[in-house]
Amino acid sequence: MKKAKLVNCIFDCLVAIIFTISNAWSTQNEKNNPGFAWKDGAEIYAKICAYCHEAHVGPQIRNRELPAAYIRTIVRNGNRAMPAFRPSEIDDESLTKLADFISNKKAQH
Amino acid sequence: MASQYIALPKGVSEKNFDAAIRDFRKVLGETSVLTSAEQLAPYIKTMMPVPDSDHTPSAALLATTVEQIQKIVAICNQYKVPIWMISTGKNLGYGSAAPAERGQVVLDLKRMNRILEVDKDLAFALVEPGVTYQQLYDYIKEHKLGLWLSMPAPSAIAGPVGNTLDRGVGYTPYGEHFLFACGMEVVLANGEVLRTGMGSMPNSNTWQVFKWGYGPYLDGIFTQSNYGIVTKFGFWLMPEPPAFKPFVIQYQHEEDIVEIVETIRPLRISGVIPNAVVIAHALYEAPVKAKRSDYVSGPGSIPDEAVYRIMKDHKLGIWNVYAALYGTQEQIDVNWKIVTQAFGQSGKAKILTEQEAADDPAFAYRAKLMRGEMTLTEFSLYNWRGGGGSMWFAPVSQARGSETLKQMALTKQILAKYGLDYSGEFIVGMRDMHHIVDVLYDKTDPEQTKAAYQCFDELLTEFSARGYGTYRVNTAFMDKVAETYGPVQRKVHKTLKKALDPNGIIAPGKSGIR
Repeated sequence: MKKAKLVNCIFDCLVAIIFTISNAWSTQNEKNNPGFAWKDGAEIYAKICAYCHEAHVGPQIRNRELPAAYIRTIVRNGNRAMPAFRPSEIDDESLTKLADFISNKKAQH
Repeated sequence: MASQYIALPKGVSEKNFDAAIRDFRKVLGETSVLTSAEQLAPYIKTMMPVPDSDHTPSAALLATTVEQIQKIVAICNQYKVPIWMISTGKNLGYGSAAPAERGQVVLDLKRMNRILEVDKDLAFALVEPGVTYQQLYDYIKEHKLGLWLSMPAPSAIAGPVGNTLDRGVGYTPYGEHFLFACGMEVVLANGEVLRTGMGSMPNSNTWQVFKWGYGPYLDGIFTQSNYGIVTKFGFWLMPEPPAFKPFVIQYQHEEDIVEIVETIRPLRISGVIPNAVVIAHALYEAPVKAKRSDYVSGPGSIPDEAVYRIMKDHKLGIWNVYAALYGTQEQIDVNWKIVTQAFGQSGKAKILTEQEAADDPAFAYRAKLMRGEMTLTEFSLYNWRGGGGSMWFAPVSQARGSETLKQMALTKQILAKYGLDYSGEFIVGMRDMHHIVDVLYDKTDPEQTKAAYQCFDELLTEFSARGYGTYRVNTAFMDKVAETYGPVQRKVHKTLKKALDPNGIIAPGKSGIR
């Protein structure tokens, strides 16, 4: 028992030391790459929603004047078989654009 | 006083959790540490037949850098707070984005979404965990790299890191994904950063081209495991072939699986058919074309008579073998002759190509999967029973006809006992077959949900009693599956866990390892 505690204590100390040492690998070539960000609601619709909602898997959701608040709620919570989408996938600002795209007829063709 | 959290990690006081959350916020900022019920809602929904409250997280952390993760594991060690890592969080039917145990903190890596390198000549990619197949597909198209992806059916919204780490599969010649993995970067529980294989050597440029490095090969212990947090992942891509010929071979009787597997095995082992072939039952393909309610109503599994009507109405075989040839036109012509001769011998097979079947929605989505194009059409399965219930039952079979028939019959019999349908397929192997069955049920129906749980439990019990092991399972049944592999393997797993993560902070419970 004492031995186990000692091992854990040593481990915890090691953790404290290691994470303060900067890792040379993790900074190479990566600072200039900002990662992925959605352009607009139409892009999110095409790259996620349309695969089901334009393919007879999920119901049609465009041109139905669905309220934007309803769309945001369904996206975040899911609905039956539809998975939920997290803010790490579709951030709040992009979700607002997506909801506007789906609910606003003028945004569509 | 009511807790300000919707759940707490096992054995962690609210006071200590408060302190951990405060420290997480110092590292990540206020907005990247989620604790409210509204913020955590997308992390709770699963398709499993257990209460969502069993898998409710206490918080979610949105990390974007390796340095942040190093600091997060230090905080977790300090307060003994367990984390559960997700990448795209779309492990649907296996646990989705929810943690294995109530109260675990989800470490959400979706925002680590940089494509770090795609090498056209050497045909490899190095990516972060949050990169989706869609993102990589678009990148390859945009840069005209002429490389193909292999991905699972949830393609667009899933990603190569999470799928491969859970040892998922796809449908191209690179379909057994972990075979094509090459090099990982892993944050260990003590905060050290390990690069596996050639990546351990400073200035090496062979990290993504040579798997083995020197000494024991380590990549495997970071798959289906909780020994570290994978932050970079290398894998090989398939050069786009000059020609591609998808086809489907249909059979009319369930017993024909014996002939199919006996015919296809030598073609797979010799490489005549190079891709991860699918032998899909009619009920796996039917949801793309038919509604269950048009053929059967009331409780119970669908009768064979109704299945035959669906086949007739929608031009399906009871077995539908989807495969493809890849290469130059000359290579394809030669191999096509071998394939048609092999399957033509008994007179039972009906062979269809794009010429006859291009407009068929089942053929169309299968052809897309076999050339690494995005489609979510397989999600039609979820409309079969409705209600959002799904678990993948995934035993491994020898690629031997008699064995696949035995597995199919046993699965169907147990499913029928609980009023559920056999939506199954055999995929991938040269020498093995992943027998993949979507146990579909209506999660809004408490009786069906209870039946689905009992059914899945019995499937695991009966299959393991016959020596049939499961290769992957949802988070509600991980302990049960771990038990079927015996005490010695469990002890080795635990020994490694104790050595690498003595405080047990990384995903306790994954694959039954604590």
